[in-house]
Amino acid sequence: MKQTLHPLTLWVGSILLAIGVVVLNNPFVALATVGAVGLLVYIRRDGSPWSASFSLSLRIGALILAIRTIVGILIGLPIPGRTLFSLPILHLPSWMPGIRIGGAVTLERLSSSLHEGVIIATLIALFGAATSLTSPHKLLRVTPSFIYEIGITLVIATSIFPQLAMSAKRIRTAQKLRGMEGAGLRTIALPLLEESLARSLQLAAAMDARGYGISKKRSRYRPQRWLMRDNFVVLTSLLLALVMVTR
Amino acid sequence: MVLVMGETGSGKSSLLRLINGLVPHHTGGILAGDISVDGISTRSVKPGSLAHLVGIVGQNPINGFVTDIVEEELAFTMEALNFPADVMRKRVEEVLDLLGLSALRNRSIASLSGGEQQRVAIGAALVMHPKVLVLDEPTSALDPIAAEEVLSILHRLVHDLSVTVIVAEHRLERVIQFVDRIIFIEGNGETSIGPAEEILKMSDLVPPIVKLARALNLHEIGTSVREVRRQTESIREGNYPDIPAISRSYETAIDISNVSYRYGEKIALNTVSTSIQQGEIVAIMGRNGAGKSTLLHSIVGLDSPHAGSISVNGMDPTKLKGEERRNAIGYVPQEPSDLLFASSVEEECAIADRSNNLTTGSTAALLNRLVPHISLHAHPNDLSEGQRLALVLSIVLSSNPDVLVLDEPTRGLDYRAKNLFSIALKEYASQFNRPVLLATHDVELVAELADRVLFLAEGEIVADGSTLDVLLSSPAFAPQVAKVMSPKPWLTVSDVVSAIEGKP
Repeated sequence: MKQTLHPLTLWVGSILLAIGVVVLNNPFVALATVGAVGLLVYIRRDGSPWSASFSLSLRIGALILAIRTIVGILIGLPIPGRTLFSLPILHLPSWMPGIRIGGAVTLERLSSSLHEGVIIATLIALFGAATSLTSPHKLLRVTPSFIYEIGITLVIATSIFPQLAMSAKRIRTAQKLRGMEGAGLRTIALPLLEESLARSLQLAAAMDARGYGISKKRSRYRPQRWLMRDNFVVLTSLLLALVMVTR
Repeated sequence: MVLVMGETGSGKSSLLRLINGLVPHHTGGILAGDISVDGISTRSVKPGSLAHLVGIVGQNPINGFVTDIVEEELAFTMEALNFPADVMRKRVEEVLDLLGLSALRNRSIASLSGGEQQRVAIGAALVMHPKVLVLDEPTSALDPIAAEEVLSILHRLVHDLSVTVIVAEHRLERVIQFVDRIIFIEGNGETSIGPAEEILKMSDLVPPIVKLARALNLHEIGTSVREVRRQTESIREGNYPDIPAISRSYETAIDISNVSYRYGEKIALNTVSTSIQQGEIVAIMGRNGAGKSTLLHSIVGLDSPHAGSISVNGMDPTKLKGEERRNAIGYVPQEPSDLLFASSVEEECAIADRSNNLTTGSTAALLNRLVPHISLHAHPNDLSEGQRLALVLSIVLSSNPDVLVLDEPTRGLDYRAKNLFSIALKEYASQFNRPVLLATHDVELVAELADRVLFLAEGEIVADGSTLDVLLSSPAFAPQVAKVMSPKPWLTVSDVVSAIEGKP
């Protein structure tokens, strides 16, 4: 078994990097961050059920990037610059000033849409990386139990992403077995959400039955220590974030 | 020790979950009446406040795990209730020893076999030294030997530590000799409570041993093999004509040659070779983790073997796609709901009809024949285990596959549903002369249904022969009737009756 990081380490690191990326607002740095994080995920992958969530987050990120770009080209304020091509303008009633649908697509307009899309996709990828390398169960164990309700909510929230990835795989296998390879996103989206939510609720029920949050203090059977390498990861990301913020 | 029994979907699980307050605190609903555990009403407190009193082990332990590592799972409740570290260490060690889990202590729970997970779940409940231990079908995923181990542990808890144990179980033949009282929930929601023998006398869900006693008109119905054996001495001493073996044509349907499969370091299948004939019902048995599911996965083409080859009617199962796959192999996985993804029974049936170009309603009609009165608007998750299995089976059968493969099909089925299910399989095998392959721990089902048994151990076939030969050669895997009637070669009640009446 690989030696594990403290469950909070990667979350703290990801959040710091996310802050840096948002403040610096540079798509190239953002892409580089995704690349670096991707490498980390690849090195530290352990074949656990939730490790699929990183690739899922990349896919969701790409989808958002695509939507953002298309919407950005179609709708919004005209940004002057070099015109790439023109779309027909849709005339809106006079009480909707300042909004334009269609029109000339300038290089600047395209790049600003892409820019924003990349930043959003990066945030999602950072979140996905943290989820895919941290067991939701472990995260729960380090959550102080005086924030009981928050703890349960947190577990439901963080476990739903890996749960989605697992269920998607399961449903795909099922469709393969039933000889329905062609079935697309539409047929699996609803059962997927349904199932992920149900599983997360089951987890919450199980925790409740096991006395979670009853005692205000919580003892540790085998404490997860905060080690040197946790410091290293957090400090590195703090440094990077600081550099990004102060630039 | 109290047994809760009843048909599938009769509300056993709800009753069990009422005991620690998960129903209604987590499910909603209206609760009339009151339940008190050790003087505390479940109405007034949250389930967590009963964690030190009631240990609950759910039907599907994997859904109840809250950590990843065996040791952490065992310690979770104690951590939550702020036990000092030395007490935790001592109790975890105790439970690891009691349940034989020491070797697994640092393993990831996801990597354990079904039986091991079940033991971890029981262990996680036992560390609290609860006054009441509630188990929902604790042995349904276990092989006969592991089931016996778990049950003898429960027996010991009841007798030595005076724990109250409440189990729901369908395989009465496994638990009946241990229980003191039975709560019988009938289909219409009426319940009766009484000593085991009294309830069994009037119930129609009975283990084979009671059926045998009824068929032979014994004065008393016994709950253990020993009791019935005493009453049937004269029958065993008689001489009866041999039952002639049924001859069949030999036409290979599935050919498995030198198949090996590894999970990392662990060898799951080690050069397995055998062939399955047309029209044959073959049961694959073996202990948990012996490689049964891996073999089935290879046959249906989910995993491609690392060495050797499998052909199903001359085709390579890993290359099958779409309609070709549906027509070649029907597969019911261990978790039948894995095949379901629509949001209602009606929709599932419609998808099956559409993809197989059947007239609308064909699948639903098939389902109705297997289990009548199923609500077409219900969500597949809200069905009982038996109904869900029937739904999956009818979807799989709707494409009329050349080969039928089932993994642990009778988990959570009562005797009546199991009977219907065996009839459907027998019909399928004999009507179309097609093979049925099933992996199961259920010896009674095998005795009733299978023509041939493959016995796997550590990834190798250690026994391959007719059901009679294989089942009688191992005491742990012998069905109840065979134990009572030993050394006579009878496996089921109907074997005994037909032998006595002199009819083949």
